[in-house]
Amino acid sequence: MADAATATPTDGSAAAALAFLTEMSPDLRGAAILDGEGAVLAASGEDAAAWGEAARALLAAADLADPEPAEQVHVGSESGEVFALRHEGLVAVAVTERFALASLMLFDMRQALRDLAQPRREDGEEGGGGV
Amino acid sequence: MPPKPHRVLLDRVSGYADEAAAYMRRRKIARRPFARLYYANGRAAEADIDSDAGVALFAAADRLVLVAGNARRRRT
Repeated sequence: MADAATATPTDGSAAAALAFLTEMSPDLRGAAILDGEGAVLAASGEDAAAWGEAARALLAAADLADPEPAEQVHVGSESGEVFALRHEGLVAVAVTERFALASLMLFDMRQALRDLAQPRREDGEEGGGGV
Repeated sequence: MPPKPHRVLLDRVSGYADEAAAYMRRRKIARRPFARLYYANGRAAEADIDSDAGVALFAAADRLVLVAGNARRRRT
């Protein structure tokens, strides 16, 4: 997916997807959406670089566990819960309060990525994933 | 004298709510940190907390929690 960063989704549509996710999930503390190359398309707050770095580290750690790349990651600790989802060449990462409903959170993340990836599907872009 | 029918219903609902609250309390106290990975073919695996991958996963997750905390502080 070499041209994922230049293809749609644009930063604007990624920001809209992030806003959707934030609105749908009351337990959400923050989230970010990355493209297949690991570049941040949208992130909560102002420190997109920190989101990108931490999200890439999480996905790299997940891939360390198994030769097959993980599609979903769910880490629960004392300080909160972390979700990551790869879908159609995009990545969503979210941090929630403890005891957030995992299935709902992942459903919302998948929905946001699906909406974001739709224009690209219609344009015939390929949806591979590098990160 | 038998209780009024709505009392029976209320008692039953209260009983369920009490049980649910107790379950949530137990879950909150007893739950340990975990890292679960799900794969495209439907397979799921739990990363051992002491393995290299587990340590890396928790470290990365803690960093994300920190970043999200900072983002939330800026938002409010």
